[in-house]
Amino acid sequence: MKTYIEKLLKIDRRLIFLALTLLLVFPIIRPLGLPNVNLGTEVISLYNKIESLPPRTFILISLDYDPATRPELHPQAVAILRHAMRKDLRVGMLTLNAGATGLIEELGERIPRDIAPGKVYGKDYVILPYQPNPVAVLTQLGMDLHQMYDKDRNGAPIKDMEVFKGIKSVRDMGLGICITGTALLDYWIAYTGDKFKFPMAGGVTAVSQAGYGPYLQTGQLKGLVGGMKGAADYETLIGVKEKGTSGIDALSLAHLMVVTLIVLANLMMLWLKYL
Amino acid sequence: MTFIKKHIPLALCFIFGVLTLGSYYVPNKASENYLEVMNKWENIVAGFAFLLGLFSLFFSHYNKIRRKVDGWGYSLFVFVGFLIMVIPAITSKGIQMDGATLTGLGWNYRFLFNALSGTMFSVLAFYIVSTAYRAFRIKSPQAGVLFAAAFILIVGKVPLGQIMWEKTLGWTHVGISQIVQWLMEVPVVAGRRGIMMGLAIGGIVTGLKIIFGIERQYMGKD
Repeated sequence: MKTYIEKLLKIDRRLIFLALTLLLVFPIIRPLGLPNVNLGTEVISLYNKIESLPPRTFILISLDYDPATRPELHPQAVAILRHAMRKDLRVGMLTLNAGATGLIEELGERIPRDIAPGKVYGKDYVILPYQPNPVAVLTQLGMDLHQMYDKDRNGAPIKDMEVFKGIKSVRDMGLGICITGTALLDYWIAYTGDKFKFPMAGGVTAVSQAGYGPYLQTGQLKGLVGGMKGAADYETLIGVKEKGTSGIDALSLAHLMVVTLIVLANLMMLWLKYL
Repeated sequence: MTFIKKHIPLALCFIFGVLTLGSYYVPNKASENYLEVMNKWENIVAGFAFLLGLFSLFFSHYNKIRRKVDGWGYSLFVFVGFLIMVIPAITSKGIQMDGATLTGLGWNYRFLFNALSGTMFSVLAFYIVSTAYRAFRIKSPQAGVLFAAAFILIVGKVPLGQIMWEKTLGWTHVGISQIVQWLMEVPVVAGRRGIMMGLAIGGIVTGLKIIFGIERQYMGKD
């Protein structure tokens, strides 16, 4: 028995990789359809905040994530964008992350196709180009954004676009949402949220979600979507099931596999030590 | 030479440091105009910093290839990867979508960068699971607390865990989501707030040391 347990503890890690692969592949191909009942309170807060905005309010979405964190954050962006468009809000999208430009293009492509087919570019939404140096951009957004952004991502002047009617800085906007896998949400809170009293919300990876608790308690964040679970929660709230919901089954199984393996390994260690 | 290499940079750092710090607390037209100019300059300098970083990266990897140091073959991929993205970027004039069709840059982003970057990050999941099994040993009370917190969070955050909790411990009438909520709102926030305050104080001290010329490492050694 002892030799058997020792062998199990030193199992080839490639076998663990294989087990995880199998565990992830099946629910992705054929979702189990587990009910997502306990929705996060901070996700509900963001949903309610967007619900409370009057039609044609301008909201700014900063998509600061790259393909590495795409599986967690892209479903959040799609769900929030879908909700904002459904509420007839005006939406501005930008990025402060050079690796995000292609993902924004994907969103730009999807808006007329399936997110909000009736919306018109330049009237209902706009995509601004990437800008380096987040601190300078964020400070400028609080004073006169046209000094920093005079053209959209295709080079068209934005000043006369209908979507920007009455919008000079973040002070004229209803909400800012930063979706990121980096610390950029902290920058948004410090340089625009706090300084210019701009209501901010965020979308972050599950691993960094715990770090934003203080901002939620003080009201510096009006809501927070965390990881794929947050995306699934938001999809449940808006009643559209997409990548967040389909990914949650695989996530469930992988999480439980981690716990099971830790418990098993520790039980085996105790066995070897005391029996 | 000391005047140009030492005194002028220190004076510039002091003047612009004090002005920028002051402009945060003095919201009037003059400070806004000053910040607007500085923001534009910062963006221009950041653009050049990218270029400088690129040259530095190329130089470092070129030297590795020239000297044939261990793993020099990987350095070749730095240049290959750069050219794969930059040549289509130049030919596509930096645009990823031409109407409804992808340009060369857009195609490479979507089907190369996207897939490769996602693959690199997802590999982490396999290492985490393998390490959890092979290395997470609960040998001390601290490790026990860490595991208990992780266990509750993992179980409480996913639907399958919530269902299992309800089936096995539902009779206690203590919801797993309530425990997770308490963990996230009390101990986690307390710990995080302490870290944030420490970081902020450290940042303020370092900033003041740079403005007043006590910290000079940014000027180089000579």
